[in-house]
Amino acid sequence: MNCQLCQKEFVAFHNGRLPVGIRTQVENHLQQCKECTDQYFLIILAEKVMDEEKRLPSNPFLITRIMAGIDELEHKQAILLPIPVYQKALKPILITISIAAALILGIVFGDIYVPSQPVNKLPVEMTYINDAVLESVDLFSKI
Amino acid sequence: MTDNDIIAQIVQGDRNMYRKLVDKYQPMVFRTCMGFLHNKDDSDDLTQDVFIQAYQTLPGFKGDATFSTWIYRIAVNASLNKTRKSSKSLLIQRFEMSFGGSKNKEYSFPIPDTENPENILILNEHREWVKKALESLPENQRTAIVLSKYDDLSQKQIAEIMKTSEGAVEALMQRAKANLRKKLSALQKKKKK
Repeated sequence: MNCQLCQKEFVAFHNGRLPVGIRTQVENHLQQCKECTDQYFLIILAEKVMDEEKRLPSNPFLITRIMAGIDELEHKQAILLPIPVYQKALKPILITISIAAALILGIVFGDIYVPSQPVNKLPVEMTYINDAVLESVDLFSKI
Repeated sequence: MTDNDIIAQIVQGDRNMYRKLVDKYQPMVFRTCMGFLHNKDDSDDLTQDVFIQAYQTLPGFKGDATFSTWIYRIAVNASLNKTRKSSKSLLIQRFEMSFGGSKNKEYSFPIPDTENPENILILNEHREWVKKALESLPENQRTAIVLSKYDDLSQKQIAEIMKTSEGAVEALMQRAKANLRKKLSALQKKKKK
């Protein structure tokens, strides 16, 4: 058996899946060939490492973590949901309507207001009228 | 209840049904991630990301392939992206180290239960060889070998996941094994020197 053939059978040899005849040939070759023995060691080492890693269990709480991750994601998406156009316009429209209503109501109420008691003060015009009484028109007519 | 029935219910809004899918496929996704990352904590995190990503894209699942094939594809792509990113950050780390930075000690593998510290060192060194050799393989060869060795998938299943022919997968496996042997013996020779 040559090196190439021997190396091809390493994994099967290691797993005991080779027929007796070929198995003996591989054993004999490995006893004679140092390079193949080293190669055999490395291949078996690689198989062993991969097997060890394969057997490692995952985190037992992984399902809970995944479901919590999905919950969080959906919550974030709900917050970041796009606001419809009518909802966007609603706020400024309501503010404008409120201001306009406040102005109109102010004018209406201001217009309705009437003082409850009449004012007894003499208007300024009346003072002039009284002055006219003091200085008669006749006074000028005599000149 | 088939996977497609479960998916239909999830798409209709029954989110709790997703728990069943996660429960069923979590071990295989974790193994795939482990095959690429060789680190338990990173693989746990990536498995979580894979399932969340799958949930988000579930309405787009057409059922052309089986759910397992679909989730394997997501897991493989996510793992490859992660390894690309970490190889970039490794370059940055090396650059920082060359300017006097300190190297972060990474624990990635459980220490074997042995009392001989020398054996522990040798074992860990050998493990590092294997990891390095696996990481240095081209992406398609690495994918084929991870799906075959870690997930025990047949060539037909691997071909379906990788969207290629069975013959191509066989060729990839042969090249991957040959490359792995070459790289391992190169590392061994380097050590002997």
